[in-house]
Amino acid sequence: MVDAGGVRLHVQRTGPAAGRVPHATVVLVHGLLTDSLASYYFTVAPGFAAAGLDVVMYDLRGHGRSERPPRGYTLDHNIDDLEALLDRLAVTGPVHLVGNSYGGTIAFGFAARHPERTATLTLIESEPATAAWAAKLGGILDRVMTQLAHNEPDALAWIIAHRGHNTARLAKGAARLARETTLGRDIPASRVLTEEQIRAVHCPVLGVYGGDSDLADLVPLKEALLTDYRAVVLPGHEHSVLVEAPAAVGGHILDLIRAGAGVG
Amino acid sequence: MNPTQPAPAQPTADTVLADVTGMLRTVLAEYGDDDALIGMSTTFNRDLELESIDLVTLAGLLEERYGQRVNLAEFLAGMEFDEIIELTVGRLVEHVVWSLKTTQAG
Repeated sequence: MVDAGGVRLHVQRTGPAAGRVPHATVVLVHGLLTDSLASYYFTVAPGFAAAGLDVVMYDLRGHGRSERPPRGYTLDHNIDDLEALLDRLAVTGPVHLVGNSYGGTIAFGFAARHPERTATLTLIESEPATAAWAAKLGGILDRVMTQLAHNEPDALAWIIAHRGHNTARLAKGAARLARETTLGRDIPASRVLTEEQIRAVHCPVLGVYGGDSDLADLVPLKEALLTDYRAVVLPGHEHSVLVEAPAAVGGHILDLIRAGAGVG
Repeated sequence: MNPTQPAPAQPTADTVLADVTGMLRTVLAEYGDDDALIGMSTTFNRDLELESIDLVTLAGLLEERYGQRVNLAEFLAGMEFDEIIELTVGRLVEHVVWSLKTTQAG
C-alpha cells in the first residue's frame, strides 16, 4: 500500500528478472466500477516485465484493495492520485502510460497535464474527457445507480439469468461502490479537456479497440486532433478486449514502447 | 527470495494442497467465509466466488511461501480467459509441485 497524498492505494510492481535493469517504466491504469489492477496483473504485465520494463499497476481509489473514501471521485482526483503515486514511487522520468476504458481517460488527463512526464500513451477502449464523454458516463452511471444500487435483487436476478454468476458478482461490487461513495455524481461532473488541451498531447498515442465496440467510431475524431496517433482495431472483440485478447493488445503496446525507445 | 518458513524439501501434492488451502482460508476470511470446502476439484471462481483481485492476493501469498519459483501471474497469463474461469485448486497445486521440482532440478 502506498499513501498517495491522503488516500492509500494498493500497488503491484514487477520487472525484469534479477540482475537486469529495466529500460523504462510502464504504468497501467484500470477501468471503472468492476475493474482492478488484476486485469493487467494476469494478462499483459508478466510479458512487459519479461521485455525488460519496470511495470507499475495500482487500484484506483474505491476499487480493488485500495482505500475507499466516501467522496472525491472526479477525474481530477484520479489524476492527482496518479501524480502523487508516481512521486511517492520516485518515478520522475517520462513513463509509458496505458489506460483501459476510464483508466485511459485518466492517463490522457495526466499526459495533458504533464507532457514532459509522458513518453507514450495507450488508450484501450478509451477516450479523452470531453463533454460528450461526461454525458455518456453520466448515462451509464445513472443506469447503475437506478437499476442496481436501488433495486439490487431484481437487477441481480436478471444478470444471473442472462449473463451468469460471474458478471452478477462483479455487478454487486459495482453497486456497492456506487452506493457507498459519491462516484456516480462526481464522474459526470468532472472538469473536461478543451480541444486545445487535447491537441497539446504530442507524444505517440496508440488506440486499441474491439471491432464490435462503438468506441472504434471515435478513431477519425482522434486522428483529426492528435499529431501522432495510430489505431488498432481487433475484430471479434468488444469493450473487454484487454482481458479477451491480451497477447495481441500487449504486443501492440510493446511495439509502441520499443519504437519510442528507438530499438525497433 | 527467502520464504518466511522453509518450504518442504520434497513438496508433494498433499503438502502443497495443505499450504494452498491455508492461503485460501486467509483470503476468504476477508469475506467472513470460514467454512468453505476446499479440495482438488474446487473451482476458484464458481465454488469459492473469488474475484480476480483475490487471486492477486493469493499470488503474493504463494510468493511469500515459495519465493519467485512460483509465479501465479505468469501461470495465468498463459491461459485463455475461459480456462481461468474454470481453474481448480488441483490445477494450481499441480503447477506449484511442478514449478518447485523443475527449479530444484535446475
